[in-house]
Amino acid sequence: MEEELLKIKQEIGEAVESVENKKQLADVKVAFLGKAGKLTAVLKGMRDVPNEDRPRIGALVNEVRALVEEKIFQKEEELNQQELAEKLKCEKVDITMPSVGIKKGALHPVTSMTDRLMDICVNLGFSIIEGPEIESDYYNFEAVNTPKSHPARDMQDSFYFTDNILLRTQTTAVQARAMETLKPPFKIVVPGKTYRNDSDATHSPMFNQLEGLVVDENVSMADLKIMLSVMMKRLFGQDTLIRFRPSYFPFTEPSIEVDVSCPQCHGQGCKLCKNSGYLELLGAGVVNPKVLDFNGIDSKKYKGFAFGFGIDRASMLFTGNTDMRSLFKNDIRFLKQSR
Amino acid sequence: MKVTYNWLKEHVNIALSPEELAAKMTKSGFEVEEIAYQNQHLHHVVVGKILKIEKHPQADRLVVCQVDIGDKTTQIITAATNVFEGAVVPVSLPGADLVNGVKIQPTKMRGVESNGMFCSGQELGIDENYFEGAGVDGILILPGDMKIGQPIEKALMLDDVVFDVYITPNRPDCLSVVGLAREIAAMLGESVKKINLNYPIDIYSKETVHDFVEVENATENCSRYCMGAVKDVKIERSPLWMRARLNAVGIKPIDTIVDITNYVLVEMGQPLHAFDRSLIDGGKIIVRQAESGEKLEALNGQSYTLDEKDIVIADSKKPMVLAGIIGGTNSCINSQTKTVVIESAVFDLKSIRTSSRKYGIRTDSSARNEKGINLASAEDGLLRALCLISKLGCGKIVRGVIDKARGENGWRNLTSSVRKINDILGVEIAAKDISRILASLSIENRVVGDKIECKIPPYREDIENDNDLAEEVIRLYGYDVYDNTDNVLFKNSPITESIPNKRYNLERTCRNLLVNEGFYEIMTFTFGGKDFVKKLMLTDQRANPIKISNPLGENFAYMRTTMATSILQTAAYNLSVGNKQMRLFECGKVYLSEQEKLSTLPCEPNMLAMFVCEEGFDFFNFKNVIEKLLAGVGEISVERSSEPYLHPGISADIFVNGQKVGHFGKLHPMVVKNYELPANSYYGQVCTLELSQMPEKKIVLKQVSKFPNVERDLAVVVDEDVQVGQMLEAIKSACGKLYFDASLFDVYRNQSLGESKKSLAFNIILSDENKTLTDEEIAKVMAKVLKSLQYRFGAVLR
Repeated sequence: MEEELLKIKQEIGEAVESVENKKQLADVKVAFLGKAGKLTAVLKGMRDVPNEDRPRIGALVNEVRALVEEKIFQKEEELNQQELAEKLKCEKVDITMPSVGIKKGALHPVTSMTDRLMDICVNLGFSIIEGPEIESDYYNFEAVNTPKSHPARDMQDSFYFTDNILLRTQTTAVQARAMETLKPPFKIVVPGKTYRNDSDATHSPMFNQLEGLVVDENVSMADLKIMLSVMMKRLFGQDTLIRFRPSYFPFTEPSIEVDVSCPQCHGQGCKLCKNSGYLELLGAGVVNPKVLDFNGIDSKKYKGFAFGFGIDRASMLFTGNTDMRSLFKNDIRFLKQSR
Repeated sequence: MKVTYNWLKEHVNIALSPEELAAKMTKSGFEVEEIAYQNQHLHHVVVGKILKIEKHPQADRLVVCQVDIGDKTTQIITAATNVFEGAVVPVSLPGADLVNGVKIQPTKMRGVESNGMFCSGQELGIDENYFEGAGVDGILILPGDMKIGQPIEKALMLDDVVFDVYITPNRPDCLSVVGLAREIAAMLGESVKKINLNYPIDIYSKETVHDFVEVENATENCSRYCMGAVKDVKIERSPLWMRARLNAVGIKPIDTIVDITNYVLVEMGQPLHAFDRSLIDGGKIIVRQAESGEKLEALNGQSYTLDEKDIVIADSKKPMVLAGIIGGTNSCINSQTKTVVIESAVFDLKSIRTSSRKYGIRTDSSARNEKGINLASAEDGLLRALCLISKLGCGKIVRGVIDKARGENGWRNLTSSVRKINDILGVEIAAKDISRILASLSIENRVVGDKIECKIPPYREDIENDNDLAEEVIRLYGYDVYDNTDNVLFKNSPITESIPNKRYNLERTCRNLLVNEGFYEIMTFTFGGKDFVKKLMLTDQRANPIKISNPLGENFAYMRTTMATSILQTAAYNLSVGNKQMRLFECGKVYLSEQEKLSTLPCEPNMLAMFVCEEGFDFFNFKNVIEKLLAGVGEISVERSSEPYLHPGISADIFVNGQKVGHFGKLHPMVVKNYELPANSYYGQVCTLELSQMPEKKIVLKQVSKFPNVERDLAVVVDEDVQVGQMLEAIKSACGKLYFDASLFDVYRNQSLGESKKSLAFNIILSDENKTLTDEEIAKVMAKVLKSLQYRFGAVLR
């Protein structure tokens, strides 16, 4: 009996070794552990084992059985692994085939730019406010130091509905509205559509402007410089530089034009910036104290600065778009590019 | 404004090159938009003399000329017929690049060498007004005494550099050579040269200006009126140097008197007007408001009917000039003129502006007058003109000038402080630098401690407060002081809280969602033609769009009352260029008013509009988009819509929290036809303004029941007209407290169900918080549901 057990111990190894598939493994299992199997047959002989030998033989039986079961289990695992590997080898897709489902659309380039600018301004503590596009002459001109006879305004530039109601020519119109209702200190930014009566490759009768206004006790031209510098760096990259040039707007004094280093050539000079290295992008300045006083803010106590620029133009610089008209044509083939 | 380098140099010492000067001016607030070299196309063109002319051996129409060009003689072949031996002509030599694009090189013409070309006036860029003979069809024949071999730019005084300078509206005092020279002097630390206003008069003559003319200033709108008289006037061509100046700044030279008035306009910024004395009835000039209906034949050939708002210069019988704008034909200088009286005046700029706009007349005079002229300038301008007349010898100046002034504007006092100026600028500029800069601008000042006491010159009406002074200081101190500022942002200013803009935020969320749903955002003009009213079959308030009174054209005249017009036009455009499938949206405003003529501002609600035309897209795809769009806002429900432009059976009004916020659906067949869109086109809109004003959606999370849910399916047959939404509501209420969810999962139509019948299969989920539901309880609820559906909708269990 002992001999037979030892023989089984040896045979199971060989038997499992030669197995190639699950069917053969099942046969091996039956051959050893089945009702008529070798191990079962041996176990039947336990009755004849003398008492004194039983503990030893019993232990041996258990050992052999465990070995047989272990060997079979191991093989089974091995075969499972093989089978899975085979299967995975066959299951394969062409990963370059197109995706299924609704394809993404795109935001309009001007809105993308607006969103970008709003994020920058909101992070700096600005509140986004808006005003009407059809505006009174009072807010659009008069309240921002541009009375009727002022040379800075020209009937030809505005679209009028009546003598006193027009399509706003500048988001500056919202400055006076804000000053009437907000209590300083405040920082506001006004994005929106504006309108002027001219139309060519670089002028659209409708365009988008952004106006910023800061009113507080101790703000200066230097704050304006640092703030615009931060904004332009966030917009066009950390190496962006800005510079001031004197200019004139009725609502600011001193007034400046702000040039931004060309985002394409970084100031080296290229076609976009006409070799100057800089692009004229913003108008800005210290709020004219007349405007503050006119709108009920004490200019002896408060100062302010303001800036404004064309969102469309910023978007064009950002994307290398050279024709303003393409922005309002809305050809899907054009819009698709900003997906 | 155009000025020339040499003209400026006449008034201030300039050691800078034209480019350096332009850069300096731009940095100081006078942007030089263009620098033009008059001689740009005159290099290698010289004065030559034709010594000999021979026939070309090979060509009948050509002649071979030997030409003296100063240092040598050269051979030139020409086809010109007005040349002759001894003629002095402009000769372009190899290397010349003429204004018409012709580049000169040595060449052979029919085998004979030619080393240049004779030039016509046109080829030199000049005309008959500028130089006698320049207008003839042929070669420009120059005066015989011209120095041979000298560059033509010298001979014809075409060697100046012209700056086109942008003068900001606050600086009308710089709309002249003298004004700019004053600024340049401040920039360079120079001082302006004194301009010559002197002229000799006949000390033996007893005649004074009053023997020739009297002036009555009868209107408040003329603050100064000066007049001088000149007799024995010679109307002739003015000298080349004067023509050269005028020509350079784009003014056509005409004759001595006209040229002098124009010269003074450019040099001093003072418009003048010259009258033929003999045409002034009664010898008296009256400055007055026009009478309504008065007529004036103007020098531009037009006739104008005037009103009381216009200022005229009249005599006892007739208006002669629309003051400050344009002269009349009835009193102007002509070839017979012997005695001239010259006006130099200051008119109310608003009146000039209004009249100029009203009649659409824009002259050099009006452009200058409407920006405001300083009182002092009137007298100086007149004296300068008289001085030039005397210098040119084209008349005898009569003693004295008439000067009718109302009030005066002298030097003004303004006290500021070093601290205030530096606080505005945010930099530290020393008191002595501030003082120096202001002084360079002729602002007399005295620094006392922190105070600066200033005297502002009369021509600087723009300087009124600390900010104005700060600007003067910084623009001359140099804005590059900010280039290296490393201050902390908002160093002395507290943090301000950014108040969220609900509408912007809501729109932004919607925009991003729609982009993920495959939509492209568009941005369209908010105005257009009026045809959309018919095309969209609008009848309500939206049928009366607000009209722009001065539009770009009738097709850009009406403010949109609905987003549909913009988005459908864009869709049609895209279809026309071959983009067949599309999902579009736009965020924008519509403009609504009940007033025919606006007296108050209209309503401008913000809208979000969507358009889809896509194979397989239907109402329920659209409904899904709407649900995703609005789920975050509130409770959504729909009702059949009666929007005129939507398909009556396949469209819905959208309600959020019971409030109507928009509509969507298939476009009406007539509308798709009107816009030439495919039949399967869908449009929808929501009012983002209203949505953003709704209270924020509150989300309350309840614990789910520990006991298992129970699912039951129920299929019933109902009439085609029965609405699923109402059935789901009925199921919900029949389930009562046990309701967890109910949904439609199948719709089946078949003849066997009967005519106009449909079978609807619902999945109903029941749940109880406290126990597992028994079969009995479930059966009871399901029976109640069925009964409710039978009772309310005539449903039959299938």
